[in-house]
Amino acid sequence: MLLEQLSGNLIQGVVLGAVYGMATMGLSLIFGVLKVVNVGHGAFVMVGAFVTLFFFSSLGLNPFIAIPAAFLVGILLGLAFYYAAIKKLLNAPELATLLATFSAGVLLEETVKMIFGSEYRGFNWDVGKVDLIVTALPMSKIFAALGSVAIALLLYVWFKRTRAGSAMRSVVEDSHGARVCGVNVDGVYAMSFALGIGLTVASGVLLTMFIPVGINPYMGGGYTLKAFVIAVLGGLSSPYGAFFGGLVFGLIENTSYTLFAFIPGVEPFSLTRFLSFLILLIILLIRPTGIIKAK
Amino acid sequence: MKFFSLKIILPAVLISIIPFISTFSAFAAGHGKIVIGHSACLSGKYAKAGEQAVGGIEACVDWVNNEYGGITLGGKKVPLKYKKYDCESKKESVTSLIGRLITVDKVDVVFAPYSSGLTLRGAPIAESHQMLYMDHGGANNKIFEQGFRYAVQTIGPATSYHKGTLDMVKKIAPDAKKVALAYEDSEFATMVMEGAKNHAEKLGFEIVFERTYPKGTTDLTPLLSAMKAAKPDFVLGGGHFEDGQLFNRQMADLNINVDCLSLIAAATLPAFSDALGHMAEGVMGPSHWEYGVTYSKEAAKEKGKQWIGPSQDEFVSLFKKATGDQKMLPDYHAAEAGAQVLAYVLAVEKTGSTDSDKVRAALGDLEFMSFYGSWDIDDSGLQVGHSMVDVQWQDGKRVIVWPESAQTGKPCYPMPTFDEKKDGKKALP
Repeated sequence: MLLEQLSGNLIQGVVLGAVYGMATMGLSLIFGVLKVVNVGHGAFVMVGAFVTLFFFSSLGLNPFIAIPAAFLVGILLGLAFYYAAIKKLLNAPELATLLATFSAGVLLEETVKMIFGSEYRGFNWDVGKVDLIVTALPMSKIFAALGSVAIALLLYVWFKRTRAGSAMRSVVEDSHGARVCGVNVDGVYAMSFALGIGLTVASGVLLTMFIPVGINPYMGGGYTLKAFVIAVLGGLSSPYGAFFGGLVFGLIENTSYTLFAFIPGVEPFSLTRFLSFLILLIILLIRPTGIIKAK
Repeated sequence: MKFFSLKIILPAVLISIIPFISTFSAFAAGHGKIVIGHSACLSGKYAKAGEQAVGGIEACVDWVNNEYGGITLGGKKVPLKYKKYDCESKKESVTSLIGRLITVDKVDVVFAPYSSGLTLRGAPIAESHQMLYMDHGGANNKIFEQGFRYAVQTIGPATSYHKGTLDMVKKIAPDAKKVALAYEDSEFATMVMEGAKNHAEKLGFEIVFERTYPKGTTDLTPLLSAMKAAKPDFVLGGGHFEDGQLFNRQMADLNINVDCLSLIAAATLPAFSDALGHMAEGVMGPSHWEYGVTYSKEAAKEKGKQWIGPSQDEFVSLFKKATGDQKMLPDYHAAEAGAQVLAYVLAVEKTGSTDSDKVRAALGDLEFMSFYGSWDIDDSGLQVGHSMVDVQWQDGKRVIVWPESAQTGKPCYPMPTFDEKKDGKKALP
């Protein structure tokens, strides 16, 4: 029985972890290139969830179609926010960008609340499920995980094979050196910020495909917290590291529950959270830049 | 002689009218009206419930003034006045607004805001002013374990939420033995869980699974997988709307089929079925009141209880008039707030005074029935007379299935499996 539960939760953890990883790549990309910590991260995830809801419930379209639309919305939001605030604050103390991203998150939440209201919403995209003896996996979750892997691969190829990707990597490595070599660093900053927000908003679609309920303007808070743990786990400046960090986090979250359930007198969920943040603290103490080095 | 008579008679007259002065002084502040003060949640996170509560209070104030003719006090009919401020669903606003209602507006009674947390926050302020404090939206039993003298509850206590469901299963499925309890780790939900656990044990059920999950959790898969392994006959759980949706959705994802699933706070709301579609079929939830309950003058007469207030349909009509929205239907937040107005009216009439101590004492002895159901409190002010109803989603509609005295349809037990529901099977008895 224990093995059945453990293996079932391992499978669920991998699938969930892939989506968590994708949901953190934007955060790591922005930090890696601009050294800006986006504390409004969860609010951008929430925007993606509402884009999905609009596509599915109002337009009757497949949630997959919402991915490029959400990405585009994210790119536009990212560019607007970059030129309106971030660009001016890049050389200001770190607290200024922290406050700016926090304000942007609150602004987004209140705007969405004004448009859609504060009710919790959800939708039912039922495309069947796969029974795996030890657990059952809805196809919507499998699609969300596959979508996450595909986007992560596309990003990898884009970084490795395109000039824009190379320029971005050079700025991560040494922004002054890149500028000396003729790279338009300001352009790279704008592109990276927009791409990071685009990825984050698109990840809102995938997370909503995974968990299509509880959609609400304030749903992002929990994802912000998890994203920080995952980002540190995977390497703060590395989008690929974030993806693998997500996988590890999903596995920890799901499998540790089964093991903690054997400790009498404790609630396993509380210990799961405790463990996640304990790992975060330990990594910050022994390797503050995260486990995987930025590439 | 004349002078001597006046010296004697005048003080005697003054002394004799003192009780009348105290009786009328309170509503004199409201210009011959009795004033209800309310720190209402008109915005913020409880705005929906707050809007309903205000609509319910205004509907019943309208009924008292225009149908009932006002409150009989000192041989006169005195109208009710309703004074409210928006507390924005914030604790810090609640304390200052209740202080203002008592000291500046000189209200006769304070109605608490929605939710246990806000109700608890305002109670010490009312207590320090020795002001009657009526709770329509705070179900947590702990409010009434603090020793407050002026707090009185109309909403049913949290520990009673799942009693009806357990009674129902015991009666209609004597073979069902194993129950799983999985609630949110919040003060309110754990209180519901405690009540459910005690009642389940009293009825002889075996609790095969008992866990909580943190507020704001986005994935219940590990907990539900463990619950599946315990093989319960039925499941009681939930906390708030968002996790209730998630609970049901992920039970369907993991194909966890039980004979009965009852979720607090979420399953009684239309948005639950809107979001989950066929997955919500057969799912139950406890509610303080639902449109369709069969409480009436005749039912009160049968039980030997006093009846007051509008009928259910009259209440709905007055609620729509109060909110100005003909499409909005009252839910239990509106009904319990409205019923609180009626309790206050009866208590004031009974004691012939608006003095908080006297009205509090009268409320302690009061037992009556209204469109909301029965009303009775214990010595601490906790509501003990009101029974909750259990609602089940049947063919996309909410049906009151328990208690039998209030039901609008028979329960569907066992509910269809998730695969059957996907194939279009409805939860019909």
